[in-house]
Amino acid sequence: MENTLEIKGLEVSVKTEGNSVRILGGINLEIERNESVALVGESGSGKTMTAMSVMQLLPKNISADRGEILLQGRNILAMNEKELREMRGTAAGMIFQEPSSYLNPLFTVGSQIAEAVKEEKGNRKEKVMRILKDVELKSSAYYQYPHQLSGGMQQRVMIAMALINNPALLIADEPTTALDATTAYGIIELLKKMMAKYGLSVLFITHDISLAASFAKRIGVMYAGRLVEISDAGKIIDKPLHPYAERLIDCLPERYNKGERIKTIEGSVPDFKKLPRGCPFQPRCSYKKEVCTQKEPGEMNVEGRIVRCFRYGNLSENG
Amino acid sequence: MKIFMARLKHANRVSYLSLWILAVLYALAILADCLAPYPYEQQNRQYALCPPTVPSVIKDGKIHRPFVYGIDIVNPAFKEYSRDTAKIYPVVFFTKGPARKILGLFPSERYLFGAPGGKIFLFGTDLHGRDVFSRILYGARISLSIGIIGVSISFILGLLIGGISGYFGGKTDAVLMRLVEIIMMFPFFYLMLALRAAFPPNLSSIQVYLLIVVILSLIGWASLARIIRGMVLSLKEEEYVLAARSLGISSFRIITRHILPNTLSYTITALTLSVPGYILGESALSLLGLGIQEPHASWGNMLSVTIGNLRILTGAPWMLIPGFFIFITVISFNFLGDGIRNVVDPKNW
Repeated sequence: MENTLEIKGLEVSVKTEGNSVRILGGINLEIERNESVALVGESGSGKTMTAMSVMQLLPKNISADRGEILLQGRNILAMNEKELREMRGTAAGMIFQEPSSYLNPLFTVGSQIAEAVKEEKGNRKEKVMRILKDVELKSSAYYQYPHQLSGGMQQRVMIAMALINNPALLIADEPTTALDATTAYGIIELLKKMMAKYGLSVLFITHDISLAASFAKRIGVMYAGRLVEISDAGKIIDKPLHPYAERLIDCLPERYNKGERIKTIEGSVPDFKKLPRGCPFQPRCSYKKEVCTQKEPGEMNVEGRIVRCFRYGNLSENG
Repeated sequence: MKIFMARLKHANRVSYLSLWILAVLYALAILADCLAPYPYEQQNRQYALCPPTVPSVIKDGKIHRPFVYGIDIVNPAFKEYSRDTAKIYPVVFFTKGPARKILGLFPSERYLFGAPGGKIFLFGTDLHGRDVFSRILYGARISLSIGIIGVSISFILGLLIGGISGYFGGKTDAVLMRLVEIIMMFPFFYLMLALRAAFPPNLSSIQVYLLIVVILSLIGWASLARIIRGMVLSLKEEEYVLAARSLGISSFRIITRHILPNTLSYTITALTLSVPGYILGESALSLLGLGIQEPHASWGNMLSVTIGNLRILTGAPWMLIPGFFIFITVISFNFLGDGIRNVVDPKNW
């Protein structure tokens, strides 16, 4: 099946007054049509940067140095500003963490969704009304201002805006983090429905691995700007391969009995300016070997799962 | 619009009142031809600096139809007049007078009111014996429109240039902001004079009018552009701007629709606050003989006669009435701006 999104060897760095700090190191990721892939990881692990690279909405001092991002077969990194503008909205849409601040407070919901419509012909209002129905909002929401809606409704409006031009890919950057649990559930269910209805592919970004598992087909675990493991959602929860993924899953509260102390991962995410030698996770890793401090592990294919760790495969192959 | 009015009334009664005052003033300006008892250029040399003759309705303790008393010229050299109670002239509606065209279209000899045989100077007369009331009505056309048109031009310029400068940043920003600084570097008044002096003095009054509007707005946009740029610098980091970009909306649309409207609460106040500046700017030019030329009337050039003339200030205070109108207009615009700011801010609903 044709992949909606293919990221190949993406490297992104921040340029500050002569210095260049790499924040994404060699991301490889494919998303098939109608597939949902979740990216999980701690804050600062590069999840949002990966998403922003796909939309090419990176801040001015951050840019992709190497690699390719193919969206429906077209390389985004080679597009000019006009093509990018055309791509945004029609090929890929995006929703964000805090819906209230991503809506312009001055205009009604209807006019903001209508503004996103790219087609010149046809009745815009009709189209907006249809998508409002799709995201399960009342048609009266058309005339309301963002502050008159609840957080969940605002997120539905964001989804309506992102999907009104029928994009192939939806990037959801922590869409439920700012919402309470029941509202979040509603949004997740809605995203699933939208996927089924529009044949949408979703890149779902979250720091909650159990939420990722409940929504996505595959999960990518990110650490220090690297995708350290990509596996099917069920498999990664049952038997994580990468030590970091293992520790993350070890932290899930539902794995503990009442009163039991939850394990945490010691240490913190390394500073991008002084990444440790070798594997970036090595200082916090309990399986650390000599080789881990020497060089960085490459991608290994273990039973159809991708993992970047020296525990798997033989060393020569991994070099 | 109806909702807007209701909200304005609710938010701030003074600004609601100001809106009506301004509406009446603008209506007076538009209907000047119909309301004024005399043509603005008609001179009554023997009645120069004549005090107001207000119609009264009581004569010898009895109610009488509205009339004005006759005016006796006591001393023409010192412009001394007295009321001649022996002569009365009833006020007549739709009276005949010199022919003129209403709104420049419909020829008419009828005037809304007048006192045939006598003189009806509601606000007195000026140095040439012209009716101040009529001239205020005609002057309102220039004074009130110069503010609106001038402000519109300079605000469109200021918003767009400030918006572009702030949004794109970099070289665009540097070039535009240096341009702004060059304009702001010159003192406002001298720049205005220099620009006006660059054009020939013998222009027709419509040319002068357009020239003043253009000059005032070419000076006025700079400071606004700088403030707008500053606001855009922070607004462009807002998340809804990022969301709009993620939807593939063009930069121009993002600036005009998502960024600039969010400067409205500031812009509207600045807008209403700068209308008076244009009215005063016009009067300053008129004072120096570079503005609207006699016999055409503007509040500014009517008022300018009084400046530096103590005799007029003390002996003919009605000559200051245009100043009162400027004052009312200015303060109404300020209150209105305040009210609109409350109304357009969704947080206050």
